[in-house]
Amino acid sequence: MTLSPLVSLIGRRVGASLVTLLFVSLAVFGIAQLMEGDVAEAILGQSATPEALAGLRAAMHLDQPAWERYLEWATGVLTGDPGRSLITGLPVWEMIAARLGNSLTLAGLTALVSVPLALLLGIVAAVKRGTAFDRTISIATIGIVSVPEFLIATLAVMLFAVTLRWLPALSSTRDVHSTWDLVRVFAMPVFSLACFVMAQMVRMTRAAVIDALDTSYAEAARLKGCSPARVVLRHALPNAIGPIANAIALSLSTLLGGVIVVEIIFNYPGVARLMVDAVATRDLPLVQTVAVIFCIAYLLLVTTADVVAILANPRLRHR
Amino acid sequence: MIGRRDAIRLIGGGGLSIGLGACGFEPARPEPAGGRLRVAVAVSSTADTMDPARQTVVTDFCRCAMVYDGLTKLDERFLPQPALAEAIETADARDWSIRLRKGVRFHDGSPLTVADVVYSLRRHLDPAVGSKAKVFADQFASVRADGPDRVRIVLKTPNADLPTILGIQQFQIVRDGTRDFNKPVGTGPMRMLEYMPGVRSLAARYDDYWRGPVRLGECELFAIPDDSARINALLSGDVDLIHAINPRITRHLTGAGFELLESKSSGYTDLIARMDRAPGNNPDFIEGLKLLLDRETMRTAIFRGYATIANDQPIAPTNPYYDPSVPQRPFDPDRARFLFKRAGLAGARVPLVTSTAADKSDDMAVLIQDAARRAGLGLDIRRVPSDGYWTNSWMKVPLGFGNTNPRPTADIIFTQFFASNALWNESAWKNARFDRLLVAARGETDEARRKSLYGEMQHLVHDQAGIGIPLFISSIDAYSPRLKGLRPMPQGGLMGFDFAAHVWLEGK
Amino acid sequence: MSRLAISGRIGLALVVLWVIVALAGPALAPHGVGEVVDLDVFSGVSRAFPLGTDYLGRDMLSRVLYGARYTVFIAFVATAIAVVTGVLLGLAAAAGGWVDMLLSRLFDIVIAIPSLMFALVVIAATGASIPVLIGTLAVIYTPGAFRTARSLAMGVMALDFVSAARARGEGLPYIVVREVLPNVTGPLAADFGLRFVFVVLLLSGLSFLGLGVQPPEADLGALVRENIAGLGFGAPAVLFPAVAIASLTIGMNLLIDSLPGRRRR
Repeated sequence: MTLSPLVSLIGRRVGASLVTLLFVSLAVFGIAQLMEGDVAEAILGQSATPEALAGLRAAMHLDQPAWERYLEWATGVLTGDPGRSLITGLPVWEMIAARLGNSLTLAGLTALVSVPLALLLGIVAAVKRGTAFDRTISIATIGIVSVPEFLIATLAVMLFAVTLRWLPALSSTRDVHSTWDLVRVFAMPVFSLACFVMAQMVRMTRAAVIDALDTSYAEAARLKGCSPARVVLRHALPNAIGPIANAIALSLSTLLGGVIVVEIIFNYPGVARLMVDAVATRDLPLVQTVAVIFCIAYLLLVTTADVVAILANPRLRHR
Repeated sequence: MIGRRDAIRLIGGGGLSIGLGACGFEPARPEPAGGRLRVAVAVSSTADTMDPARQTVVTDFCRCAMVYDGLTKLDERFLPQPALAEAIETADARDWSIRLRKGVRFHDGSPLTVADVVYSLRRHLDPAVGSKAKVFADQFASVRADGPDRVRIVLKTPNADLPTILGIQQFQIVRDGTRDFNKPVGTGPMRMLEYMPGVRSLAARYDDYWRGPVRLGECELFAIPDDSARINALLSGDVDLIHAINPRITRHLTGAGFELLESKSSGYTDLIARMDRAPGNNPDFIEGLKLLLDRETMRTAIFRGYATIANDQPIAPTNPYYDPSVPQRPFDPDRARFLFKRAGLAGARVPLVTSTAADKSDDMAVLIQDAARRAGLGLDIRRVPSDGYWTNSWMKVPLGFGNTNPRPTADIIFTQFFASNALWNESAWKNARFDRLLVAARGETDEARRKSLYGEMQHLVHDQAGIGIPLFISSIDAYSPRLKGLRPMPQGGLMGFDFAAHVWLEGK
Repeated sequence: MSRLAISGRIGLALVVLWVIVALAGPALAPHGVGEVVDLDVFSGVSRAFPLGTDYLGRDMLSRVLYGARYTVFIAFVATAIAVVTGVLLGLAAAAGGWVDMLLSRLFDIVIAIPSLMFALVVIAATGASIPVLIGTLAVIYTPGAFRTARSLAMGVMALDFVSAARARGEGLPYIVVREVLPNVTGPLAADFGLRFVFVVLLLSGLSFLGLGVQPPEADLGALVRENIAGLGFGAPAVLFPAVAIASLTIGMNLLIDSLPGRRRR
């Protein structure tokens, strides 16, 4: 088994990713130029006057040509310093670092809980296709994911924090001093997020495993007398793993930037709210840096999914 | 607000590593003497600021009130009381001399000097500061030191209200030369221990406060933007005081044993028709529009009674210059139908722009739309994003909404919003008589005469201006019964954002 | 029809019910969609108001009847556009080569643009209208459909019968349409059902931003959102629209799940 095609693939993907990042930062910058309003208007709000705006813009160097400001930011990022926020004057990296840690913690815990559970439910539903168990799983996953996330999170808070008083209504990592605290603080946010991300993984796992079980060689394995478990694990899964890994990557990729509602309801300071704030105030150095971070995370996940698919399915290796 | 599902583009990845080390977990702190008050307001973002000149939202007002003092402080009747200024003297309302209080020290131990005051006032004139109070500061002809404990301010034109203007939050005093406000230093009742914009702040009692130390030990302040989540945090005991309660939920809170603080204010959300273009340039349309305001239903359905009926002019009944002789405009869709027909607008369709930026304008628009339908006028509601509303839509669309916080004096609100040349003349209403009355009232020293001038101005705005003010909106806060000392102030909720200096926790 | 399992028939019935409601809803509604008919707000279920009243005292039954058409049609059209576009391009990319590289990177870029910025720019540039709303939803969900179709198709392309077809000298379009597509319809249908759910929910988020259904009308998701304050008293105004969404999406997915499977090799 030779890995060199894989290595070259990864090499190409890393190269392509860098180009993608360049384009993403350009696209985000371009779109920001199209958006109405700028950071000076955001600061002055209702009390903006033409003179005040002009003065503030000059002070923030917003009167420089757009490409100059982009270049300044880009060279800063390449040297490891994405500059300072136009709104707070704090270093962008300092503002992002703590919140990124929070977001990664929440996303990581959610992944730890939801991925194994989703795989298990999806595989069992596929094997027991058409049974009451399968239908229950189908209806439950769709039913849960179709409840708006703010409703799930709010209901959870009302039940566990207000009525039962088992869990805190706000999730602050400050209150974490032991593993038990960790469970208490993260239980509800992780639960709310898992409700959302699991559906896609469960359904894609089920569909992909069913497809793989229907293939001729899975059929052949069954006829040879392999046990159902062996048919699934040795013959069906390797073929199904590409789409499953892809579904996992897509689902998890929504966790960093997509948890805004959970961050709002549990008052959990993460990067999703930072991004929304930054967009609302047109704080471009911050917007661009966060967008690039989101993009890196996404590329890491989908590239991993592609590599996993290739490793699991030897046929894909010779492409 | 965009929900989780747009996710797909606000993407990111969930690495499996759990960086506990990077998350700022800290050992438990013992609660300080006086107790720690935890307060949740509604809005906070990375745009939070500790620069007094730039303060904009409730988080800023509260934090700046903790850390800084002004030269004067406005009381519950909006009258200026001495604070860092011990005395303010003038002979002609133009040339003012301010004597500073002695022995006041900043949180870093340095004494308050005239240089600090001169710097704090002058910086508003620098556009790079981005001051919200520049429009007031622009009347300063000069601000300079006058001996070791006096500051002299010369105005471009006389204004007897200067002591009140100096009590506006944005004119709070900072140390000479301060440019970075992320580690704020003031003379106020609390010292800032920790300040993270858009996350939270933690302030502790300043023991050398010139009025004497306050009772509260510490105050943690952050925002929970989601209405239900904020209330749940109070119900579960995670916070002690919350701001901006949805009036529809008050039953729920009082039922659970929590206290409510209703602060009646002169703040309002108003319907604006631009009079410099169609259809607002037709007086019949303007009058018909104001007849569509079903104030009673708005008060019950939208505010659950937590509002005061207004009468299309900005002076609230609590104001000493309020004129009760202005006839209350009724809700009269039939008369409106007649007026619209006369204006040639029967069956017309007019877009009405709303945004959450103008508080409750969404709900008001729906009620106005329903009334307009009965009057034979089609209003198409256009909801636009709150971000950018003030620069892109406000005063630019033919028919939209504005929102105004309480202003300390009748002169300020009339000058800022209704004078023909006012920057925020929302409806582009021009009236020469009104402008003359405004100048006359500003220089008038006879109170009865002044009151009649302001009375006539209220009549003019009520009759002619292109704005409909349906209600003065009360602010509602809710708090745990162990919090004591809160009382309503007309400046806004949370005791005019100055609660930290006045409240205490029972048993601490 | 006879080939549908019980669950499929339930699903079909739910979908048909909602299509009927969407078509006839406004005609059936007892009150106007923006009419305030109750002095109280968040009233419970009563004879006068079978689904209670909302946060302004409007009849919930009428609001649901008016709102269903937005959710049903906008979400369906937007999902269909996103999935068809995504699948076509995903199949094209599955063959690999520079087409794959180009399309994959292009969608990586599209997916990395924050949707908030995208939506704000769209509003500023075009104003809000239903076609713009559908287009925005479709653009947001196309990259996911693309990646899903691509990964499914790549698995099939590696199978023996495809290699055999290639060896026979069949052209790429033939292989994709005749050999690959029939073998990925199951998972793609499942993906469609799920994407439909996401679109239904994002729709309400965009409405609140201003890009979407304008008041007094509201889609089902927006009905849940605007009445969320009633959750504390268990107001029917927040529960019924949530149940409506769940029944529509569950019906759609039950139907999709029980569609007859395709031939396999």
